[in-house]
Amino acid sequence: MLETIVSIMNKTLLSYRGPFYIELISVFGSNIRNLSDVYINARKKLFKIFIELSQNVSNYSENFHMVNNVQRIGVGELYLKEHDTFYLFTTKNQVKNSDAKILAERCELINASNQIKLRQLKREQRLNSPGEKFGARIGLIQAVMLSKNELEYNVEEINDSFSHFSLTVKIDKY
Amino acid sequence: MENITLQSSQTTPYFPEVNFNISNGICEISGESYMEETYKFYLPLINWIKNYTKEVKKKLELNIKLIYLNTSSTKCILDILEILKDYKDKGGNVAVNWYYDKDDPDMIDEVEDFEVESGMKIDLIEIK
Repeated sequence: MLETIVSIMNKTLLSYRGPFYIELISVFGSNIRNLSDVYINARKKLFKIFIELSQNVSNYSENFHMVNNVQRIGVGELYLKEHDTFYLFTTKNQVKNSDAKILAERCELINASNQIKLRQLKREQRLNSPGEKFGARIGLIQAVMLSKNELEYNVEEINDSFSHFSLTVKIDKY
Repeated sequence: MENITLQSSQTTPYFPEVNFNISNGICEISGESYMEETYKFYLPLINWIKNYTKEVKKKLELNIKLIYLNTSSTKCILDILEILKDYKDKGGNVAVNWYYDKDDPDMIDEVEDFEVESGMKIDLIEIK
């Protein structure tokens, strides 16, 4: 009987829990860019998705640190794993239960849209965003447009007010 | 009005380098843009361009050489393009050039989206 040996890679490249300071995000991002000499396009996409989703945690996590009583820095978790043919990037942060429902609906809408519809959504959303502190509000759309894979999300209720919202994006190497 | 000159730094790579020159109307943004409080960073640039189009009223050339910009920064760039489109519609002499890496096709799509959303023509220039 032939024995097939299947090599399945599942390597954790990065794991972090704490405040998402821009200085940290930048250093992690730089490391992602320099992971290896191969999968150049995948790493470019991974970097962009990494920045977007990490900054979502930094900007919107309901668990946050105040810097000098002025600047709010979101606290959360991130995990980057490498598999044979893809990377998996996950962020997790605290959200209000009411926002978790909105976010889940938003993920469903994005997952149900093809690339043409996503591009249209992105344009509409950016044009209609009030800007200023709200940004463009297109980070999740951008992540799916870049990866061409669906968003995987999970909601774990902490109590009557808050939940943990985790988001995973798969980035194919080829 | 004065020139705006912001140097890039290896310790803060999330801020772009900025050179807005009032004497020749050439405005350049280069490097990367994914800072916190994006609007706070871009507001002086947006106001400079607004004032230039109202007070100086000469030719304005915007050269964007950003390798990466996050989605919050894209909103601010869109604000700038909308001001320039308005200036052009009122007879202003304005050109927008976007320098891109040919190995980054996603950036070409991004520029196309900017053109559609702002109505402003953008010339794509490949970086050699």
